[in-house]
Amino acid sequence: MRIGEGEGQKTKIILNVLVCAVALYGISTRDFTQHRTSAFENVMIDFFAPIQKSVTFVQTSFNSVFENYIANVNASKENDKLKMKLSEMNSKLFSYKEMELENVRLKKLLDFGIELPYKKILAQVVARDASSDFRVLRINKGLIDGLKLQSTVVTGEGLVGFIYRLTDHFADVLTILDPNNRVDSLVKRVRAHGIVEGDSDRQCLMKYVKRTEPIILNDEILTSGLGNLYPKGILIGKVSRIERESYGMTQDVTISPSVNFGKLEEVIVLVSDSDEKKDLEWNALDSNSEEKDK
Amino acid sequence: MKAQLKDIIVPLIITLLILIVLEIISTALLPALGVQKYIIPFNILIVLYLGFKLETPYLSVIILIVQYFHSFFSIEGWELGTIAGVFICIVISYLRDVLHFSSAIITIAVTQIFQLVWFFTVSFLFYLKTNSFSLIVEKMWRFIPESIVISLLAPFFFAILDRIWSTGGEGMLGDDA
Repeated sequence: MRIGEGEGQKTKIILNVLVCAVALYGISTRDFTQHRTSAFENVMIDFFAPIQKSVTFVQTSFNSVFENYIANVNASKENDKLKMKLSEMNSKLFSYKEMELENVRLKKLLDFGIELPYKKILAQVVARDASSDFRVLRINKGLIDGLKLQSTVVTGEGLVGFIYRLTDHFADVLTILDPNNRVDSLVKRVRAHGIVEGDSDRQCLMKYVKRTEPIILNDEILTSGLGNLYPKGILIGKVSRIERESYGMTQDVTISPSVNFGKLEEVIVLVSDSDEKKDLEWNALDSNSEEKDK
Repeated sequence: MKAQLKDIIVPLIITLLILIVLEIISTALLPALGVQKYIIPFNILIVLYLGFKLETPYLSVIILIVQYFHSFFSIEGWELGTIAGVFICIVISYLRDVLHFSSAIITIAVTQIFQLVWFFTVSFLFYLKTNSFSLIVEKMWRFIPESIVISLLAPFFFAILDRIWSTGGEGMLGDDA
C-alpha cells in the first residue's frame, strides 16, 4: 500500500485523532481495583512471563549458592541458637493450640458466624512492574491454579496486596505500597479505624484516623475485614510516625509494612470458595443503594 | 516520508523484540540484582526514537503497538504513554527543521528535554485520573534519575535503531526516502 504526500498528512491527522480518542476513552474507563485480561493479553503475558521467571530463577539460584555456601560462616552457631528458639516455640505452640480450641468452643457458645475457609496457594515472585509508578509483583500462579481476581495475597509476616490482573498461568499483585490500593484497617490496641494507602517504596499512610484516638509508635495495624476484599486480622505493619496537629479532625499516621517487599520471593494467595457468591451479594447491595439514590 | 507498510512491518517487529528483551531486563533481572525503586522505562526511549526519526502517517499506530506490548509488563496500560507519544510527535513535527542528532551530547540533551514533555503530559493525565498531586511529586523524584539513565543510553540505542529502521544517524527517517 502506498499513499501520496497530501493524502499521507490527512491519514496521519485522522489516525492521530482516532488513537488519542481511543486512548482517552481507555484512561477514563480504567479501573484500579481489577483488570480483566483479553484473550490476546492472556496469551502474550503467559508467553513472556516464563522468560521473566527463568531470568529471576537464574539470579536467585546464583544468590542462593553465594548465601548458602560461600557466605555461610557462622551457620553452626546460628543453628544452635535456632534450635533453642525452636524448643521455646514448640512449648508456646502447645499453649496456643489449647487457646485455639478454647476459642472455638467460646465462639460456638456465642453463636459467632462460621469463618470462611480459605484455600492457600503458594506462589513465587517472578518479576516486578515495568513502571516505577506502580508497585506490582508478578507471581507464577494463575487461573488454572485456582486463583481469582481480587484474592488476598499474604506472607507469614503480613499483608502483601491483592490479585489485580490474572492470566491462565500468572497473576499481577497490586501491593499495599501502591497508592491505588486502599485497605480498611484498625489499630490492634485501641481498635481505631482508618484507611491504609500506599505512599512510597517503604511506607504506607493510614488516613482518616480520628485525632482523639490515642495511637502510639509501634502500634500494630490489622485489616478490619470491611470492604469485601481482605479477611479480618491480617497484620499490615507498625506505626512508625504520628503527626497530630492542634487543629483538624484527623491525624496523619505513617506505617512501616511488616512485609519486606524488597526481599519478597514467595507469597501465599488466599482464595475463598465463596468469593463469587460474596461478589453477587455486594453487587446486589450496590444496585439497591443506587436505586435508592435515584 | 515512509509511506509503504512493508517498510514498517519488519523494523517494527525487530523493535518490539528489542523492547521485550529490555522490559524483561528491567522487570526481572534488575529487581533481582536489588534495583527495585527505579525501573528504567525503555518504552519511552523507543517511542521518543520513533517520534524523532520516523516520518510516516502510521506513527500513532506504531506508538500504540509499542505501548500495547509495554502493557504486558506493566499495569500502567498503553493509554497514557500513547497519548504522551502522539503529543510529542506533534510537537516534533513543528520542530523537525531544528532537530538534528549530530553528536552524542545533543542526542542526550534532546532526549532529556522531550522526556520532560513526556513527564508533564503523563503527570497531567494521571492527575486528572487520580486527583492526587502528592503522587506527581513522588513520581518526579523517581523521574529524575530514570530519565538521566535513559538520556545517557539514548545515543547507543538510537544508533542500533538507526540501523533497524535504515535511517541516517544525523537526519530524520524518510529524509532520503
